[in-house]
Amino acid sequence: MGVALLIFLVFFPIAMGVAAFPLGRRDKDLRDWFVIAVTGVELAAAGALLLFQGAEAALAEVCGFGLHFQASAFGTLLAIIAAFLWLMTALPSREYFLHAESRNRYYMFYLMTLGALMGVFLSADLYTTFVFFEMMSFTSYVWVVQNETPQAIRAAETYLAVAVIGGLTLLMGLFLLWSLLGTLRLDALYAAAAALPEEKRGLLWAAGLCCLVGFGAKAGMFPLHIWLPKAHPVAPAPASALLSGILTKSGVFGILAVSRLLFPVNVEWSRLVLVLGVVTMLGGAILAVFSIDLKRTLACSSMSQIGFILVGVAMQGLLGEENALAAWGTVLHMMNHSLIKLVLFVAAGVVYLGCHSLDLNEVRGFAGSDKPWLGTVFVVGAASIAGVPGFSGYVSKTLLHESIVEYIHHLEAIGAEATYYRLVEVLFLFAGGLTAAYMTKLCVCLCLDPKKPGHHVPPDPYMNRKTMTSLTIGAAALLIFGLRPEGTMEPIAHFAAETLGAGTHEGVIHYFAWTNLKGALISLAIGAVVYLLLIRRFLMSKDYSGQPVYLNRWPDWADLEDRIYRPVLSALAFWGAAFARTLASVGDAVIRVFRDALHFRAPGVIRPKGDDAFGVYGNDPERNVVTETFAFDLLMAGIGILAVMGYLLL
Amino acid sequence: MLLALPVLLPLLGGVAVFFQKEEKRRNHLAVATVLATALCAVLVCLLPERSLEVLTIDQGLTVAFRSDTVSRLFLLLDCGIWTAAVFFAFPYLRHAGKQSQFLGFFLVTLGILAGLALADSFITLYLFFELMTLLTVPLVIHDGTEGSRRAGVKYMGYSVFGAGLALAGFFLVFPCLASTSFTAGGALDPGAVEEHRTLLLTAYGLMFVGFGCKAGLLPMQSWLTAAHPVAPAPASAVLSGIITKGGVLAILRATYYLFGPELIQGTELQLVLLVLTLLTIFVGSMLAFKEQLLKKRLAYSTVSQVSYVLFGILLLSDDGLRGALLQVVFHAVAKDALFLAAGAIIVATSCTRVEQLVGIGKRMPVTTWCFALASLSLVGIPPLCGFVSKWYLAVGALEDYGALGIWGAAILLLSALLTAGYLLPIVTRGFFPGQDYIAERREVGRSMLVPMLVLAALTLVLGLFPGGVLRWVDGLLPALL
Repeated sequence: MGVALLIFLVFFPIAMGVAAFPLGRRDKDLRDWFVIAVTGVELAAAGALLLFQGAEAALAEVCGFGLHFQASAFGTLLAIIAAFLWLMTALPSREYFLHAESRNRYYMFYLMTLGALMGVFLSADLYTTFVFFEMMSFTSYVWVVQNETPQAIRAAETYLAVAVIGGLTLLMGLFLLWSLLGTLRLDALYAAAAALPEEKRGLLWAAGLCCLVGFGAKAGMFPLHIWLPKAHPVAPAPASALLSGILTKSGVFGILAVSRLLFPVNVEWSRLVLVLGVVTMLGGAILAVFSIDLKRTLACSSMSQIGFILVGVAMQGLLGEENALAAWGTVLHMMNHSLIKLVLFVAAGVVYLGCHSLDLNEVRGFAGSDKPWLGTVFVVGAASIAGVPGFSGYVSKTLLHESIVEYIHHLEAIGAEATYYRLVEVLFLFAGGLTAAYMTKLCVCLCLDPKKPGHHVPPDPYMNRKTMTSLTIGAAALLIFGLRPEGTMEPIAHFAAETLGAGTHEGVIHYFAWTNLKGALISLAIGAVVYLLLIRRFLMSKDYSGQPVYLNRWPDWADLEDRIYRPVLSALAFWGAAFARTLASVGDAVIRVFRDALHFRAPGVIRPKGDDAFGVYGNDPERNVVTETFAFDLLMAGIGILAVMGYLLL
Repeated sequence: MLLALPVLLPLLGGVAVFFQKEEKRRNHLAVATVLATALCAVLVCLLPERSLEVLTIDQGLTVAFRSDTVSRLFLLLDCGIWTAAVFFAFPYLRHAGKQSQFLGFFLVTLGILAGLALADSFITLYLFFELMTLLTVPLVIHDGTEGSRRAGVKYMGYSVFGAGLALAGFFLVFPCLASTSFTAGGALDPGAVEEHRTLLLTAYGLMFVGFGCKAGLLPMQSWLTAAHPVAPAPASAVLSGIITKGGVLAILRATYYLFGPELIQGTELQLVLLVLTLLTIFVGSMLAFKEQLLKKRLAYSTVSQVSYVLFGILLLSDDGLRGALLQVVFHAVAKDALFLAAGAIIVATSCTRVEQLVGIGKRMPVTTWCFALASLSLVGIPPLCGFVSKWYLAVGALEDYGALGIWGAAILLLSALLTAGYLLPIVTRGFFPGQDYIAERREVGRSMLVPMLVLAALTLVLGLFPGGVLRWVDGLLPALL
């Protein structure tokens, strides 16, 4: 039963995706309901997987090595979240796409991506992970390019390039791992890596780095995040919710697998991940503060939150046995971020349907007093991601923060240098503050600012019941999780963190005790300062009628992709092509040399010019008299005879 | 006698087709010939191994056929691709003209290839190798323009020179042979190996480079990118997919059936040749990336992809050889699908350059889907078949070649990246030209679509279930290594 369920979870959506295409040609309504039904069934099946923990399934010889699936606790949790998100985005999709083109194509790849993502989360070896990871990259490409605007096409190009480069780097990592360890099974990697002799650790590092690049590219880790702030805003809103909420998590899933299985207690590795995590966290937050596009802000925020999660991954490695808090924090922040981004992006979709724009100057005041429900839901999501106590994001951020504090205490206890980790803590709180600042910016813009004069008037009702259901369920989950973490989030964390090899933690965590509240309050205070001093002063102004205007102060040239990646890649292509052309012309060049040296370009002889039947005399009859026709042939023959004679005699 | 049938049938059929003036009857005859040959090939594969001695020129120089596993693999592949290509050829030729000439040579080539696959001695192999060159020249110069004639001369010159090098290698190795027929694991006289090691290695090097010319190996690859683009699409499909594999087959025979892997294993020659194949892989992909003419781009891609096979053969390890043989089949399927798609595009739209193909997915969705699947397979994206062969090749490289192995795997992946760079934009721009793109849907006819669809579907099916081919190849490995 467990076997069948695993196979079903992966292949059912793929098959249904293919089926949805012809169905949509016949009847669009039927197709929309069909998609909702499929995702509903998928969610039920993912939930049923809880009953079959530890089940394994194998499809021998498929794709060469065979595909292997397992129901690990962590994988199951992510699978449930994925199915939930798919259902929650299928509900508003109908309204969102009502007037869009090429919906069949979208739905087909929408469902196929779900299957591929399930394959990633439920994989039992990295080979299977890779197969579905690649599939997911390509099927989700269609989401990004769906709108076919010039920006979407360009963003999709970047997305595809990063996905292909990342995928191939990951493949290199897998090749190395396979040749080093002889296995890619997740449950055997740990022992195999631990038993590796010292002199091969270098190669293991190379393999690990390749995997980190491959998975990191998908997760949106710095410096491979370039696709993220471009792809999410141009995709349709339900797709951005998924891209941001759960597809990036497949990258995190891979990074976790590599970190926890290959380098479980390796300090250097954890530091590397920590540094990358901190840079991602801050970079994303800074980009989000400067952004004046609703979805771009959310996308940059996703990048920043991935940074938070990576910090959690690194802390797990640093803390060793006592990593329970870090593991729980990582798991919970992954879950929370998925749910939060679901709510925020779907809300952004509603805004886009109402205003046909995502520019903050166009959409301001959209969720004002006339649309209280939308405003409330958005504020719940924003508060949750900003880590306001009482909302779900607070709990996971607190756990992550506590794990850093714990490590600092640990270092102090053994008398080691802890300055850098104190800095990490400060930056962590600062990034949390920036989160609060940019979310405040969005909330104020949407809910409090006056509407733009002559704004687009949305239809009534501005969102249908299905969209509202989806938003409400998401927001309710955030509130319930945040208010009752002991009964809801803790069991989930305990359940899933077991797969990550989390240690145990004695005692009860008092989430609303002063020591824990303090961190959140510091962050919020920083957020308030940044909002008031930086955003209101520097990033906003008022126009002649006193209306607020959001300014785009981010310089256009400060773009990693345009400044560095594209020029470097085209330079590499240029030099590579120059090298290749040189090598490729060796054969022809040799022939030309021989022809010039030996072939009858004898002057004084009729040299054909275009037509063989007519000719003219050569221009320089004085040169190379010896090469004149027959005499030349005789000469050559003589030399040949001499050579043969010489060979025979000597 | 059965072994002579796959060779003789297409030869006779080809001659008959050549003189058949009426189109319908000619086409029927051509299809009947190809199908009958395919039937014979299947029979040869099903029946136990057998051999046939045709004639003995001098003692030691025998023209003989045998149906061992390698022969069967190549024979089936040839017939399969020919069946697809011949159906595609009919409507294409109506567009290109001179149908009886083309079909005649096209069928004769199949017979020659069958002979090449079944050859059991070097002389037989050489005979059919040269015939293959000479009889495909008319396919290359089919349209008779100045450019194609020049390409034809270049093709012939390079190929004959390459075959000559290989023959020179054979002269060197001939005195050291224990048996003239191919023997799995090497046909050399063990005593002579000790005595003439350097000489034998020189002979091997000559043979590898000489036959490598046909497979597009550096430095004699330039005929390939001249000849393939000018030929009509069905011809360039088989030139790229199958004829280049003739060189591969000859190298395979030379390596494992004539010289034997022990002689070459661990020598500097092996390293040099491995580097040469890696350079070819890179050069082919890089130049394809920069090429704007669609068919020429595909030809450069062939240069790169066929060298994957040579690389795998030279690794002399289980995984390497497995990957190489899988790549022979999978590349043939994918590349033929690509060339047929390119041909369909030329017929329907007269577009030959890549930048003209924006929006092609809206105009010819089925063709572009086939192109997309074959492209992904060529890049090596799971679950398409190219991934499986590349996996084994890279794993084989990493097994026991140290730094060279890592470089090898890295270059394979770099080439995959470039492959993605030169194929996927055609697909993505074809399907997503932009919001306001309006195009008339104009697909080619069914007899062009079906062969393409079958080949494209095969890339997916073989990728999902490579077990059958894999077992077939695996059965071969113990005898060779």
